[in-house]
Amino acid sequence: MSTPANDPRQPSAAKPFVSPPVNPQDLPVDYSGFIAVVFGIAGVMFRYKLSSWLAIIFCAQSLANMRNIENDLKQISMAMMFAIMGLVTNYLSPMRPGTKS
Amino acid sequence: MVKLFSLCISFFLLSLLFLSLSPSYVLADPHFEGFEPEIDDLEDDDLSLPLTDLPLRSSLLTKSDPEPAGISSPDRDSDVPDPVDEPLDPQSPPSVSDSPKPSPTSFSYWDEDEFEGLPIEQPQEPAQQSSKSAEDSATTDQNSDSKPNSPIPKPANVSKSYTVEIVCGSFLVIFVINYFTGKRENENVALSWASKFATKDSIFERNFSLLGVGEGEDSPLLLKEGQNIFKFYASGRRYCQGLLATMELKSRHDLISRLYNMVVPCKDEISFEVYMNDDAMDHIIFAVARKKAAKGMQKDLNDLQRFAGILAPPSGRKWVPEELSVISESKEVAADLITETVLDQVFGEKSFEKFGKYFISMHFSDQHPGMHKKMLLFKFALPDANNMADISRLVALVPYYIDAIGRYKLSSQARSKAEAARSKAAQEAYKELQNARQEALQKRKAEKKKLMEEAEAKLGAEALRRKEAKDRAKQMKKAMPKIKMSRTR
Repeated sequence: MSTPANDPRQPSAAKPFVSPPVNPQDLPVDYSGFIAVVFGIAGVMFRYKLSSWLAIIFCAQSLANMRNIENDLKQISMAMMFAIMGLVTNYLSPMRPGTKS
Repeated sequence: MVKLFSLCISFFLLSLLFLSLSPSYVLADPHFEGFEPEIDDLEDDDLSLPLTDLPLRSSLLTKSDPEPAGISSPDRDSDVPDPVDEPLDPQSPPSVSDSPKPSPTSFSYWDEDEFEGLPIEQPQEPAQQSSKSAEDSATTDQNSDSKPNSPIPKPANVSKSYTVEIVCGSFLVIFVINYFTGKRENENVALSWASKFATKDSIFERNFSLLGVGEGEDSPLLLKEGQNIFKFYASGRRYCQGLLATMELKSRHDLISRLYNMVVPCKDEISFEVYMNDDAMDHIIFAVARKKAAKGMQKDLNDLQRFAGILAPPSGRKWVPEELSVISESKEVAADLITETVLDQVFGEKSFEKFGKYFISMHFSDQHPGMHKKMLLFKFALPDANNMADISRLVALVPYYIDAIGRYKLSSQARSKAEAARSKAAQEAYKELQNARQEALQKRKAEKKKLMEEAEAKLGAEALRRKEAKDRAKQMKKAMPKIKMSRTR
């Protein structure tokens, strides 16, 4: 398996690395970001504490797996906004009659 | 580490179980319809039973609890005394007149015998209270001999349950801790691979003149694309333009993915893409993979589907082990590429037992879809950071096959077959393109026709008549016999 005696290296043929342009459609779908948005909206609309907490957890997952800042940050920021809004409305606003947390 | 995470999982499962079983989430409806006793039956029972034997009821009014235990209502928190809390004299049966009357504001009509929907008692006027207290003192003087009942203690407000907050908060804390530990683990795996195969006097340093993703001497070896994706680039070698190695590691930094991977296990993988020079690679389509994966590859990959087929093992010579399948355009190519050296080092029966567990697939093609047509693809699993030497023979396949394919030339018969197949494929592709173009043209024509018809529909009746008249005149002209005019002298 050893290489032949003559050197296979060719410095003249060396080409520097150019990162290929990434098409946003080719990137894997950010499911956790989407789930975070869904839970965040549910938390704000229906005043479910658990939904808001889950939205924050999925936001954290989405942030941890973020690859392309330009494409992912919009969705994550939106999810985070809804999650925080949900927690604020659940804990700091007066309770509506007939709601269960 | 695994023990720690299994403990974490068990903790979360228990906490979720507790959360689902906690009484604050179970809202029971105290009212059940259809179980009220019949009035006639009650009357009969009252007649038959001797009244002296019955124990005296503390209160004639029963109060249905509108909310479950443990959930405090604002009414309970108020300073209004509860009728149950008052000490009752067992000797004196309270009359119906003594029973507390509902507030007139809540109900216009109140039925004494109605037990459903009792209104909330409101504090009486001070004048009424003073008169009542006088009556109470009189009754207590009369019944001073009898023992007073000890007052029933009022249930204390159950403190709010913070189970959700505790569970989610602790999960977030563990998530953050795991993020940093997992990130470090992945970096260790990537760095151990680089130190084994991409540093001084290593296999890639001996084969490529340019290593790393940057320009210059001190360029970084690895490019970190995500927390679990690392890339290594090498260039400056005969027969090829360059090599790109991509390490796709487990998502150790993500706790949710980590828990999922405990249920559905996955491996750390490394894939090598070798971009061959156009003149260095002949018409070769060849792949080796495990049997299941090989079937999937042949279905999914366009070039293997069009040009290649799974080969049966040849008789009378050494071949790859039974777990592997060979996909090739011709038997000649397969026989020439699976050499004795490769069988001894990696794909032989004995050597594959040792090193084969990390092998996933190899795929060489001159018809690869994408920017680079001629490519060699290698896919291996990665061992732990401490056992990186286990894949050294597999990694050695990369430069070996670059040279083997760079030097390899097909026989005239195999070449003519391959060229015929490629020209046929090219013709099919061209036909498909033509069909697509024709369809597009037809669509455009149909759209134009529709637009014309719509325009005609918009035109007025007079304009239509004029148009029809013009058309008629044209047709008449066409129908008229042609007269040739000639000048006579």
